[in-house]
Amino acid sequence: MTAGGITAEPPIAAAPPPSAGPGRLGRYLTSAIFLAPALFMLGVWMVYPAVYTIIRSFFGQTGFFGHWVGIDNYKTLFTTSTLTTAIKNNAIWVAVVPALVTAIGLVFAVLTERVRWAVAFKTVVFLPMAISAFATGVTWRIMYQQDPGLGAVNALGKTISGVFSPAGVLSSASPSIPALQSKGGALVLKTATHPGGVALLGLTGIAPDQVPKSAVQAVQPAPKPGDVVGAVWRDFKPGGGKVGVLEKGEVGLPGVTVELRDASGKTLQSTKSKPDGSFDFSKVPAGTYHAAIGAQTFAKPFGGYAWLGPNLIVPSLLISYIWIWAGFAMVVIGAGLASMPRDVLEAARTDGATEWQTFRRVTVPLLMPVLSVVFVTMIINVLKVFDIVYALAPQSEYAKANVIALAMYFAAFQGGGNFGVGSAIAVFLFLLVIPVLALNIRRFKRES
Amino acid sequence: MTRTRIAVVAAGAVATALLVAGLAGARTSSTGRAHQNLAVSGTITFDGIWTASSGQKQFADVVAAFNKTYPNVHVKYKPVGDSLPTVLATAVAGGNPPDMADIAQPGTVAQFAKQGKLKPITYAKSVIGANFASAWQQLGTYSGKLYALVFKAANKSVVWYNVPAFKAAGVTPPKTFSQLLTDAKTIKSSGTPAYSIGGADGWTLTDMFENIYLRTFGAAKYDQLSEHKIKWTDGSVKTALTTMAKILGDTSNIAGGTSGALQYGFNDSVTNAFGSPPKAAMVFEADFVGGVISSSTKAKPKTGFNTFTWPAITPGADAGGVEIGGDLFVTFRDTPAIEAFVKFLATAPAAEAWAKQGGFGTGNKNVPSSIYPDPITKATEAPIGSAKSVVFDMSDEQPPSFGATAGQGEWGLFQDFLKNPKDVAGIQKKLEAAAASAYKKGK
Amino acid sequence: MAAAAPAVEIPAPRDSAAAKIVRTVTRGPLHLALIAIGGLWLVPTIGLFITSILPASALASKGWWQVFSHPSTATWANYDALFHNSGLIQALKTTAYIAVGNTVLVVIIGAMAGYAFAWLDFPGRDWIFIGVIGLLVVPLQMALIPMFRLYNTFGLFDTWYGIALFHTAFGLPFAVFLLRNFFVGLPKDILESARIDGANEIVIFLRLILPLGLPAIASLAIFQFLWTWNDLLVALTFGQNTTPITVWIAGQLREFGTSIDIIAPASFISLVVPLCVFFAFQRYFVQGLLAGSVK
Repeated sequence: MTAGGITAEPPIAAAPPPSAGPGRLGRYLTSAIFLAPALFMLGVWMVYPAVYTIIRSFFGQTGFFGHWVGIDNYKTLFTTSTLTTAIKNNAIWVAVVPALVTAIGLVFAVLTERVRWAVAFKTVVFLPMAISAFATGVTWRIMYQQDPGLGAVNALGKTISGVFSPAGVLSSASPSIPALQSKGGALVLKTATHPGGVALLGLTGIAPDQVPKSAVQAVQPAPKPGDVVGAVWRDFKPGGGKVGVLEKGEVGLPGVTVELRDASGKTLQSTKSKPDGSFDFSKVPAGTYHAAIGAQTFAKPFGGYAWLGPNLIVPSLLISYIWIWAGFAMVVIGAGLASMPRDVLEAARTDGATEWQTFRRVTVPLLMPVLSVVFVTMIINVLKVFDIVYALAPQSEYAKANVIALAMYFAAFQGGGNFGVGSAIAVFLFLLVIPVLALNIRRFKRES
Repeated sequence: MTRTRIAVVAAGAVATALLVAGLAGARTSSTGRAHQNLAVSGTITFDGIWTASSGQKQFADVVAAFNKTYPNVHVKYKPVGDSLPTVLATAVAGGNPPDMADIAQPGTVAQFAKQGKLKPITYAKSVIGANFASAWQQLGTYSGKLYALVFKAANKSVVWYNVPAFKAAGVTPPKTFSQLLTDAKTIKSSGTPAYSIGGADGWTLTDMFENIYLRTFGAAKYDQLSEHKIKWTDGSVKTALTTMAKILGDTSNIAGGTSGALQYGFNDSVTNAFGSPPKAAMVFEADFVGGVISSSTKAKPKTGFNTFTWPAITPGADAGGVEIGGDLFVTFRDTPAIEAFVKFLATAPAAEAWAKQGGFGTGNKNVPSSIYPDPITKATEAPIGSAKSVVFDMSDEQPPSFGATAGQGEWGLFQDFLKNPKDVAGIQKKLEAAAASAYKKGK
Repeated sequence: MAAAAPAVEIPAPRDSAAAKIVRTVTRGPLHLALIAIGGLWLVPTIGLFITSILPASALASKGWWQVFSHPSTATWANYDALFHNSGLIQALKTTAYIAVGNTVLVVIIGAMAGYAFAWLDFPGRDWIFIGVIGLLVVPLQMALIPMFRLYNTFGLFDTWYGIALFHTAFGLPFAVFLLRNFFVGLPKDILESARIDGANEIVIFLRLILPLGLPAIASLAIFQFLWTWNDLLVALTFGQNTTPITVWIAGQLREFGTSIDIIAPASFISLVVPLCVFFAFQRYFVQGLLAGSVK
């Protein structure tokens, strides 16, 4: 913990001058009185459980205190793959979140100082902290849903992508006969057609409500010499019907772009099918042709990113967490700013320093104690993170998104009450914090 | 708490003779007329999973029925919801469990019994024997002692389907699995995916596997696998998994595809199948799907949704068998009040108080099927009591670290199987490894 | 802090023309940026609110933004159902006792300890302080079982003060850390002159430290209140009939089926109180409190 203060400052007074005030013993007594309640409560509610946990970690699984297993639980810790993933994930959390949250909080705290409607903005940023972690997890879980119809994030993506690459009319359709094959997104009829021939392009996988309203009973047109005729229709009737055969009860698909391709695959003509699904390529010279349905018909709509899928689940969690905790940083740092005496800032300003210089040389150093509280608290919070991962990540991604506290919860409470392993994980968590504390001790010692 | 305890014990000691007479008289309650037993008194703390919107009120009705005969016993119910495993584990390990609790996994019950935390309910043996087939008694027995009463059961061999979707596809509920696959293809051609799978909740996948296994190999072999007498690397498991892959591998026929199925939880799988427009035509899950449909969708019974029994696979292999999930009631203490309550819970009036409101199934053979409030409920609940063979949800019978933990064990591995249904052998190996380690540690 | 001469009347901030211009020029884009960020930040919360006024069946097939195209689907029915559910008011009261009780305790005990670590000297001060910070790491779940046994022995189980004391203890590491770091930044000279004048530590603490540390105390109070208001696990574990709002909400959720029509409105009802606390304490964050307030 840095002592704060500008570099020219003398260090914090270690003790009041010995001549003033009561004797040494009296002073220690005073300290004891001030400290007693805190130390008592911490001793009972936190030190005792911590010691209990350490001891418990060397015992086996069953019930109160099972049998001694030595370091077996710790061995399990390091050999279970889900736990190593958890450790890796926590490392990512520690690297990303505290710095970002503190920085964002600082920026917000400083910026809102100068704005009259600061309280409104602060309330907006603070609100996420006021909502319970569980509700927040559920909210973001819904927002991250892959289905653009349900998940807000992907809905936004769909709107944007819809502008650039609109979905096809029949994006879910598939061919009803093997002869109709997929080539580069389009469906091409493998069987060749000649002028005077009929090309039947049957499609299935089309829900009744996807059929355009203008569709009517499909009609197989009669062959016309010199023309290539055919029909695009929904090759399905209740029960299935005969595949590839145009039957009563099956509707045509109007508005579909049908292409006439030559043997090499080049599109020679294209037309749109009529309400009964029929199409007509006229004045076709002699030769071998293949009828095809254009690729744009099947263009898939934006399917949404899998924010809750294995690749994006950790970033998704980080974003939600930062959204929640930036408010904490902002409020605490805001309090720090409020405690800063104006005279120092004004002195710097009147000395000709710019806003940025004032910020860097005066404000930030004065804020160091507060910044360090926020930063260290966030590091420890992030090492303990549980609620948001539990509520937000789908069960299928728990292994991928695993964090130490989640693993501990499952080991101790869900996985059959193995408090031995659970305690070992908790002890491991304590140990992880030691480097953090050590770093801060050194900085603190240097300053004082 | 200590003082009340002493008072109860003292009262019990004094009233023993009265108690015996009272109970003997109260047994006639099954005919409708109850003798009030004022001698038995006390409080029973009960930690349960049912909350205000899912069963707490109905359970209160069961307690009210109990209070008709035992008005001086107060049952204090604490609705804990999803956190029940944590709270219960803490309370048990911390030395102050509730008097009774409702646990959904026989595996967890076995664990508590092994640790010596449960009190046997041998005093209720004859009542249970009079009301339940012996298989049900077996479900609550560990190392030869009776510890749990299966009070509420859910029929997991049910498939719910979207009626308009089936009609549009021109298919009727299939009776065999091969018919199911054919129908699924037809449904896909009609434009709706056939299967709605809630893969984010691993237990839906284990339920599917268990139904397949039961209907391919029968109840006897099912029990062997459940007790780990057969390994997960066995050929029968391979057959069942290959069959299951016929559904899981048909990705274009699953709502949302494989990645969607992995993100949709159980609730989503139901709303997907019965929302409008439906994203799929069928959900393979238990009788409690009905509750989700009525609370989260606008679909109506018979016109919007209906049910059929899980299709048979091997002819004769317990084709009509029922896989159940259930709520097991256990006791952590033994007082006259608790004994009276447990004995009551095993009788038909206790089950009927809830059954007539729907959303409740029971193995109590003395509950008439006429008690169920509507045809669909009857179709799903009545088979529980009347089926020739009944097996419990296999994953719930396993040690919890293998059978009932999110992201691990069966739940996690079946999710991996959904991701890659082709790797049957690999999944088998992993399942066996997880099972072996769970059984070895006695977890 | 600057070693300024004591007892100087600090002048009002000088507003030169140059400064005014700089401010106006930087203000426009600043306002825009803040509005944009604020808007984006608010979207999920607005989403949750709209979710709370839509029926569950509507949310099953379409996202909450459907309310913009079909405003008639909005309904207060979800809120209605909650208020008609018995126990909501009692739950709010219980939560208030627990939250207020432990926040007051944390502030007092934390401030005392924070002051001791900042301005009193005793052997091992720094190491004990590090130890206290280290306790921040203790995860709640691991304390449940040992404390459960202890509570049983001392009859604290299922009491609101038992729960409050648990929260107090767990809030202390952060409280001590925060307040100590604040107090350390206070003008040393004011404290020294007070000591020279013969004031004892208690007087210094009450008359000087607390008023000067108000912003820190206010922010601590906000968060401690908030964290205990939203706690579920401790109340669930250590209570049987004591039911704060989070436990009450958990007791409303369905076993199967989405409970978003309960979670969403309940979240908003529940969030009103912490928000009020936030507004109430906001006024202590006015800069310049220090100026001229001491002597």
